[in-house]
Amino acid sequence: MARTKGYPEALEKKLRDQRYIREDSNPEFTKNVKAISRTIAHMCYQCGTCTGSCPSAPRSSYRIRKFMRRAVLGLENEALTDPDLWLCTTCYSCSDRCPRDIIPTDVIMSMRNLAFKRDIVPVNFLKTVQAIYASGHGVPNNDVNRAAREKLGLTRDPPTTHMYPEYMPGIRKIIDHYKLKAEADRIVKEREG
Amino acid sequence: MAEKKATTKKAPSKKEDSKKVAPVKQETKKAAAPAAKPKAAPAEAAAVAPTTNAGDARVGVFICHCGTNIAGSMDIEAVQEASKKVPHVAYVDNYKYMCSMPGQTVISKAVKDHKLTAVVVAACTPRLHEPTFRTATKDAGLNPFRFEMANIRDQNSWVHMHDREGSTDKAIDAIKIAVAKAALLQDLHPKSVPVEPTAMVVGAGVAGMQAALDLAAAGIKTYLIESDMSIGGRMSQLDKTFPTLDCSQCILTPKMVDVGRAENIELMTWSEVHEVEGYIGNFDVTIRKKARGVMTPKEAEAKGIVGGGCNGCGDCENVCPVVKPNEFEIGMKPRKAIYINHPQVVPLIYTIDFNSCVKCGLCVTACGPEKRAIDLEMKDEFVKVKVGTAILATGYDIFPIEKKEEWGYKRFENVISSLEFERLICASGPTGGHLVRPSDGETPKRVAFVLCAGSRDNTGTGKPYCSRFCCMYSLKHAHQIIEKIPGCIPYLFYMDIRSFGKMYEEFYYRIQDEGAKFIRGRVANIIEDPKTKNLHVMTDDTLLDRPIDMEVDMVVLAAAIQPKEDTNRTRKLFGVSCSMDGWLLEAHPKLNPCGTTTAGVFLAGVCQGPKDIPDTVASAEGAASAASIPIHMGAVELEPYFAMCIEDKCAGCGMCVNLCPYSALSLVEKNGRTVMQVTEAKCKGCGTCGGFCPGGAIWMNHFATPQIVAQIDAFLLGGEQ
Repeated sequence: MARTKGYPEALEKKLRDQRYIREDSNPEFTKNVKAISRTIAHMCYQCGTCTGSCPSAPRSSYRIRKFMRRAVLGLENEALTDPDLWLCTTCYSCSDRCPRDIIPTDVIMSMRNLAFKRDIVPVNFLKTVQAIYASGHGVPNNDVNRAAREKLGLTRDPPTTHMYPEYMPGIRKIIDHYKLKAEADRIVKEREG
Repeated sequence: MAEKKATTKKAPSKKEDSKKVAPVKQETKKAAAPAAKPKAAPAEAAAVAPTTNAGDARVGVFICHCGTNIAGSMDIEAVQEASKKVPHVAYVDNYKYMCSMPGQTVISKAVKDHKLTAVVVAACTPRLHEPTFRTATKDAGLNPFRFEMANIRDQNSWVHMHDREGSTDKAIDAIKIAVAKAALLQDLHPKSVPVEPTAMVVGAGVAGMQAALDLAAAGIKTYLIESDMSIGGRMSQLDKTFPTLDCSQCILTPKMVDVGRAENIELMTWSEVHEVEGYIGNFDVTIRKKARGVMTPKEAEAKGIVGGGCNGCGDCENVCPVVKPNEFEIGMKPRKAIYINHPQVVPLIYTIDFNSCVKCGLCVTACGPEKRAIDLEMKDEFVKVKVGTAILATGYDIFPIEKKEEWGYKRFENVISSLEFERLICASGPTGGHLVRPSDGETPKRVAFVLCAGSRDNTGTGKPYCSRFCCMYSLKHAHQIIEKIPGCIPYLFYMDIRSFGKMYEEFYYRIQDEGAKFIRGRVANIIEDPKTKNLHVMTDDTLLDRPIDMEVDMVVLAAAIQPKEDTNRTRKLFGVSCSMDGWLLEAHPKLNPCGTTTAGVFLAGVCQGPKDIPDTVASAEGAASAASIPIHMGAVELEPYFAMCIEDKCAGCGMCVNLCPYSALSLVEKNGRTVMQVTEAKCKGCGTCGGFCPGGAIWMNHFATPQIVAQIDAFLLGGEQ
């Protein structure tokens, strides 16, 4: 029994009917994506310029074109539960070149918003939230950095919240307004106990 | 005619004019309707203001269902009932298709049975069916201009498809407005003008040549105007044509020769349309003959140099010291300051590029004392011709594809445009038909074709339309390199292959079978290897769902096309509109693709929108046929919408004369006074003068102030007048 561990499940998954059916499509999803992203997500004609421009695609399974297709078809569940959603680096290369003048990056951002409402979000993103709440930086300064800055004749800390911590309450106020920190804390706790 | 209708009482004040006016003579409608066609009103006839009076007008309203187009979105019964209550309405009826024969019979029967004086049809647009219903009105015994249309379809039922109540109310309003005008309509008589039995074709590419040949064959003297030094246009730059793979020059040259020979064609190359005046049947066109510095045998003879003029020997070219890039070869071959485009040119006359000529005179000496063809001091000449109809065949340019920076055109040597490819693969081209890399002259073994380069692009940098022939010529290019370079693989990067024409899909099949590789993905960007000058084509193989980095030796961009640079200037001269993308606007995209909204001006070929050669030739033949009709008819009727001067009111200030965009107005002395006079044939009825005249002395036929005021009143006051 132990020797076949995983095989029956894998086989079952392979043999499952993978066709998508009308019920998989939620027209509201297309509308919501459009409303949040403020771009014409429904106008994609699948030319592939976005994926061809994407620095993430050659090194990952992330396919921006696939998410655009899901936006057109309203395949909400498929889009929001795909972990690839979080692999976009938001470089905006696709948005620069899209011949239909869509901003695919903003489509991804809107889908991340919708996923977050369902608590679908990788923990590292939440830890970034916590880091910003604590220091004002997603990637706070560290000693290696400080030494490098000193070498270059710069101040040990950059002229940001690191140098002016008095601005932190303002940043926290914004984050609290959207309950972002509270939600992040809750989800991290649920995941990591 | 006008005497009869013009009441003899003094012109009424504005108020009376628009509201209620003295009782009308009953005989107007009776006499006017079947009256023998009077001669067009001479200008003096308009000495007194024509007045209109709704008095005892009897208007018939006919509501069309247009199947469910109209009836599906509004309550026809309610519209009919409401229409009955509108003042002056004597009869109301509805019918499923008013434009059908039975529908028209409903109209003519009602006119007779109910002694109607005017007809209102509430249906589609005047653009579509005004002629139909005018004819029906005429057949019923009324003057055809006693007809008014209420648009309750295109501007109502189609827009308010889901608002039954709203569209019903709006239709009732539209009918009230139409009835208000119909009650005040007058008999009008179209003016017939003779048509000059000559035609003009602007542009001598394959479209212009075909149109000119057809017109000439139909016995019509045709002026063929070409801004370049020789004819043939874009097609003469192509190597082969899809899907038959005919040599482009081989099939074009006989036509070019025919054009040169045709007795009825007066070919004017190196010439541009400078000015256009007049109207259908009577266009006065001024042509600027650019100084070409070389005389034709004919021109030489006219100057008394018998047996002289250019014979195309080329002696001048041999001695010319100036070297410039040849535009015909897209700069890939040198030319002299005195040159011809290619060996098969028609007409075979050399031309001097005065922008680069240093006037050294070597060519003059080489040409010799017999021919004396060269005149370095030649100046532009202006020639005036009169034509009845004109065809615009101004063609296209290649979109400057370097604007799409991601593909590196003009940055990377081995990225070329499709037109450059045509010249490189052509036996008469700069390399004698050997496709080579511009960077090192090597023969490429892997060539990428980037389709939709700048087409189907909504970014504002490219063109939103499909350029329509790039798919097919790229297939042809793929075939040519497979045929000419053993082992060379063409990769076609495409979004969709649009092989829609006769034998086109079969051609696609053939090229795939020959070994071309098709990769479905629009090219995201191209990167040059600075050492090898090879190119990395980056895209997404959308069918495999994998990004792709394809290293190739050469990239050919199937660039979008756009209207020829000078199109806008030319179209304005002829009063032709263009659509948002700059292509010239046809009168109707489906039912009148060759006509324009300017009577007597027609479109042929790509200037109207991207077309391949078969479609271009077909469109040219259509335009030639359409342009020959008025000439064969001998006369055309002009819409009688011209302005008239009410001489009693005219102060002779002359301000309207300068405002008129058609130069139709002038000041004349009459009975010791200066008054304005309208040249009716020139007047287009635009109303600029009528709207401006400070004294209200200009009467716009069919759009007269009382008629328009009545329409506004009908809308604001609900039909009460």
